[in-house]
Amino acid sequence: MNPLILIVEDDPQIRRFLRATLSAEGYVYQEALTAAAGIVQANTRRPDLILLDLGLPDQDGLEVIRRVRESSQMPILILSARGQEKDKVAALDLGADDYIAKPFGVLELLARIRVALRRSAPPSEDRAAIRFGRVEIDFGERIVRVDGQRIHLTRNEYKLLYVLSKHAGKLLTQQQLLNEVWGPNRLDQAQYLRVYIAHLRRKLEADPARPQHLQTEPGVGYRLVVD
Amino acid sequence: MTSCTVVALALRPHLAATNLAMVYLLGVVIVALLCSSRTSVLVSFLSVAAFDFFCVPPYLTFQVADYEYLVTFGVMLVVALIISTQTARIRRQAQEAVGRQVRTEALYNLSRRLTEQSEDADVARIAEKCAEETFGGAFAIVPKENRKTDPDSHRSPPDQPLVQWVFDHGEKAGHGTERFAEAPALYVPLTGASEMVGVMSVLPPHGEFLNSEQMQFLEVFANQTALAIERIGSQRAAELAQLQVQAEKMRSSLLSAVSHDLRTPLASITGAASTLRLQGDRLEPGTRNELLDSIADESERLSRLVSNLLDMTRLEAGPELRRDLYPIEEIVGTALHRVERQLEHRKVTTQMPETLPMVYADDVLLGQVFLNLLENAIKYSPEGTPIEVSAEATDNAITLEVRDRGSGIAPGEEREIFERFHRGKLNDARGVGLGLAICRAIVEAHQGTIAAYNRAGGGAVFRICLPSQEMR
Repeated sequence: MNPLILIVEDDPQIRRFLRATLSAEGYVYQEALTAAAGIVQANTRRPDLILLDLGLPDQDGLEVIRRVRESSQMPILILSARGQEKDKVAALDLGADDYIAKPFGVLELLARIRVALRRSAPPSEDRAAIRFGRVEIDFGERIVRVDGQRIHLTRNEYKLLYVLSKHAGKLLTQQQLLNEVWGPNRLDQAQYLRVYIAHLRRKLEADPARPQHLQTEPGVGYRLVVD
Repeated sequence: MTSCTVVALALRPHLAATNLAMVYLLGVVIVALLCSSRTSVLVSFLSVAAFDFFCVPPYLTFQVADYEYLVTFGVMLVVALIISTQTARIRRQAQEAVGRQVRTEALYNLSRRLTEQSEDADVARIAEKCAEETFGGAFAIVPKENRKTDPDSHRSPPDQPLVQWVFDHGEKAGHGTERFAEAPALYVPLTGASEMVGVMSVLPPHGEFLNSEQMQFLEVFANQTALAIERIGSQRAAELAQLQVQAEKMRSSLLSAVSHDLRTPLASITGAASTLRLQGDRLEPGTRNELLDSIADESERLSRLVSNLLDMTRLEAGPELRRDLYPIEEIVGTALHRVERQLEHRKVTTQMPETLPMVYADDVLLGQVFLNLLENAIKYSPEGTPIEVSAEATDNAITLEVRDRGSGIAPGEEREIFERFHRGKLNDARGVGLGLAICRAIVEAHQGTIAAYNRAGGGAVFRICLPSQEMR
């Protein structure tokens, strides 16, 4: 069955473009023009994914995330204007899966949708191993290899890499990473996180100044790109 | 008195009684010099009485044998009274002169210190301090703009309704006045040349009333302070007007530059789209694709232009930096990632020693600087030529460079290229000339510098120096 996508967006031109793109890719879509309608349709139609604009006429789009997350883990993709890092972080911390900045191209949009839909399929989370580029992680043995050579990671480095790989492709905010790796008491220590990411890049990336996998979203967080 | 009597008794056998009166007069002079005028008047009367009692026969009684002595008593009393009042007046005048000098010095001190200030808050703080040094007690100034009292003030918060009353009526109130005399503090309006600029509250030392002289002086003091606050107000108004003129100029140059740059891509998009709609079926597939490409490319250009304009506007308004410590590698890496597609098959080398300290910066904005520099390097150097990015730490700065092998910078243009709306002479660039202006605004907001040079062997170097920050 084709995945159902709920579009919560008030701008008619953007909706028109989304409709054309989604149906050409074989997705089924449903439209909501307000936050209130979005919340109702998310609960009644149970879509496979929500495309959510943050600037809605009746309420803040963040409210939609909050209400949907009360009962469901369905992927939520934010459509946001550029330069609103604060909003993006707020949306992601509330449980949105990713964002895509306007103006965006079709390729980018479809790639993000595919990643989000794939991630929501349950088995991927329990994989025993993951491989990207030259890197191979064996979660069972807690072993990381680069070009087949076993490399040493400190406990926290491994933990950070583990969290990023568990959510491979998903953008994780600094707060989410700090919370998962160091616990809730270190949420203001973003520098730790940056130093550890830098260490991981030096150990895993071919050119740490041009990372292919451990990518930074400035002002927001990090993402492990595995494909 | 007693010593005068002792001296007079000792001299009594040798001198005429009238001459003994002189001893008492001397005593009156000394008392008048040392004590209050009331005491010296009292002493004058007592001297006459004592003279009569001890020195005029018959002794040890107030009776007088010779009635001529009554004249002596009368003259002696008048002289003693004149001496005591005059001496007291001279002393008071001397005291007043000293007081005047102290006050003049205090006022001079106040006005000198006030003229050095350029902020209302500083004027208020200095006036409060000067006043406390001069009068004692505690002073607080409530400027007109924030009639609400400053909750962070270390001083006792003035009584809000009373301050409001003084603002409304422009008259003194509180302690020692007719209005609200029961209040612990006195409230004096600060009235400048044209209007009231604030209210000064005075908590007198030990709850004492100020005397009329102090009160007068306080008013002069308040007036000086008011004038200083007013002066700063009008200075600020002038600066604001100046800023508005500049903003107006900026807006018009922006409009003229932008209207052209916005219209060109819009014209291409509209043209291509309408052609496709009208003649889409009849066009060759190749032509159709070309038109579609041009719509996509021009839209992207338009979008970049609008972003640049928004960034510039935001930076003009004084950017709000969200600084933290970042590895410079991460900031450069993110920028490189964003130009990945435009880099195509260029070779990019990065030299970043692992020992580099972290930079204290706004990652989004500093990333924007690298993005702009990299995009320029790509745009202004031939395809396939290498681009180099390097970072180096010295004792108190981090130097970052982006180097290309393009046509470089026209001589004498090294500074101008960082100006808004300036387009490089050596290139038929299609930008608005905002990219480098944005870079400069961001770097300067980080207390750094940015400069451009020509490279030996051809090409341009853009060098950023950021002061390095100690780990907090």
